[in-house]
Amino acid sequence: MLTLALGSSSAGAATAMAKVSNGVLPRAPSSASSGFGFSFRGSSLQLTPAARPISSFKAAVAADIDSNEQGPPPKQEATKYYFVIANAKFMLDEEEHFKELLYERLRLYEERDKEQDFWLVIEPRFLDNFPNIAKRLKRPAVALVSTNGPWITFMKLRLDRVLADSYEAATVEEALASNPTTLDFEKPEKWVAPYPKYEYGWWETFLPKASAESKV
Amino acid sequence: MAAEMALVKPITKFGCTSSSSPRRLACPKFSCVKMSAATSPSKPKKKATKTEIKETLLTPRFYTTDFDEMETLFNTEINKNLNQSEFEALLQEFKTDYNQTHFVRNKEFKEAADKMEGPLREIFVEFLERSCTAEFSGFLLYKELGRRLKKTNPVVAEIFSLMSRDEARHAGFLNKGLSDFNLALDLGFLTKARKYTFFKPKFIFYATYLSEKIGYWRYITIYRHLKENPEFQCYPIFKYFENWCQDENRHGDFFSALLKAQPQFLNDWKAKLWSRFFCLSVYVTMYLNDCQRTAFYEGIGLNTKEFDMHVIIETNRTTARIFPAVLDVENPEFKRKLDRMVEINEKLQAVGQTDDIALVKNLKRIPLIAALVSEILAAYLMPPVESGSVDFAEFETQLVY
Repeated sequence: MLTLALGSSSAGAATAMAKVSNGVLPRAPSSASSGFGFSFRGSSLQLTPAARPISSFKAAVAADIDSNEQGPPPKQEATKYYFVIANAKFMLDEEEHFKELLYERLRLYEERDKEQDFWLVIEPRFLDNFPNIAKRLKRPAVALVSTNGPWITFMKLRLDRVLADSYEAATVEEALASNPTTLDFEKPEKWVAPYPKYEYGWWETFLPKASAESKV
Repeated sequence: MAAEMALVKPITKFGCTSSSSPRRLACPKFSCVKMSAATSPSKPKKKATKTEIKETLLTPRFYTTDFDEMETLFNTEINKNLNQSEFEALLQEFKTDYNQTHFVRNKEFKEAADKMEGPLREIFVEFLERSCTAEFSGFLLYKELGRRLKKTNPVVAEIFSLMSRDEARHAGFLNKGLSDFNLALDLGFLTKARKYTFFKPKFIFYATYLSEKIGYWRYITIYRHLKENPEFQCYPIFKYFENWCQDENRHGDFFSALLKAQPQFLNDWKAKLWSRFFCLSVYVTMYLNDCQRTAFYEGIGLNTKEFDMHVIIETNRTTARIFPAVLDVENPEFKRKLDRMVEINEKLQAVGQTDDIALVKNLKRIPLIAALVSEILAAYLMPPVESGSVDFAEFETQLVY
């Protein structure tokens, strides 16, 4: 009666519909992360086809990443990126435990001298290849992207109200390309917690380097 | 497990709340094995004076379950619903061991403990004892489950073992905290001497899920409050809470995955009733417990009831990601009911502390227990909030992600 809808036909169809562009290869859904093969009834979809300027942005990203990071995926060879995605308010404003998890992981990577393999991408460009995901997202959307598939499966379990899938990209800058946008969260009507909210902008640490500097 | 849950015990347990120790009049005692008195700053003595274990309705409990049924539930041959990818992802998270080097003490602990005096010191000791017992209780249960499931589901078994590692670490850290107060819990003795509460596996899932998630919300709230108000930081253990409670939260995620793997525990009207029942048990237990210990929360600069309501509301929101129904705790009527329960519970405590003979005490308790039961029942019957994971198609959702 209840299935976990992994690798179901609808999930397969969604990915198959993803267009090949930007060198992103279509692929079969991974059983680990395609958790969106179920139907939603009565959902009010908000389609906001945002303007996507393709500018010299990508070049800037590439230059910066090349100088600052060793780049986890070797060039020329496609690397698989896993992601969970939802609207920015959910990811960056409401789910405060999410911030704690990311900083915890960053701390661990620093302690163990491990290269960072997870990022936050605001309005990711890879979304163009996932129209079925894109149409169910409030905008702006924010993705958590990682080359560590099981970790993204875990994050899907934790966040629950997110969509998950994966894609391949030849370079990290291509994988993490985003469309600049401004984020503006309304203050909560009543804040009753005995502590202040996490500060606006906490996520900047996790943005791919160049886009953080280009003031997304 | 950082929090405890107890209301599911038979209501007759109310008869056991009498406390013989005058030092503990304000707060019914749970089991503790002392090496010396809480107020004495003398060196710990080697010979333990084992005091009698007193269990009350609100005491942190030790749990046991039907291990054979657990084995059946997690047998991948029998249960095809098991989402091994989720379990493997969790296993990776637990193996990562984020807090491997986190629980390292320093000399601040002893210095802070030495500065604490009077009622605050006593209530602190009690906080450490109760927390240590709750963590240790998690250790025992998870350890046994890890052992028993090794054959049928090695992945799930290993996760249980790694969670018992976390719980042991937490309990040990708290017990070292007690040594700052020249005390120690004899955990070996506790293991043998405490009564174990039996829960069927599905109830273990509901109860431990809530216990872990409410533990997270308690710890992170205290941590963030103290970070903002460092003048109340009277003992360094709170500085460890931020990383610590991430363990609790992850443990909760594991039970979330276990429940998803057993959809029969989530998808019918019975599951909804049980979900509400366990939510209520956990929230009421915490509220009554904490309202008996306002000195502790006020001692660290918190308003007890506001703190508890924040924790309840947040835990409830988290729980709504998996339980098929939760309570409408954001309805102001819910808090009014909790407050009335506190008043009745205070009267019950007062009866226990009179010099009346047992029969008279019990007679006096009857109308109070009836009143408490009726409040609890009324809270239980408040219109619930439908909820659940979006991974289940049955869940009507208006969500746009």
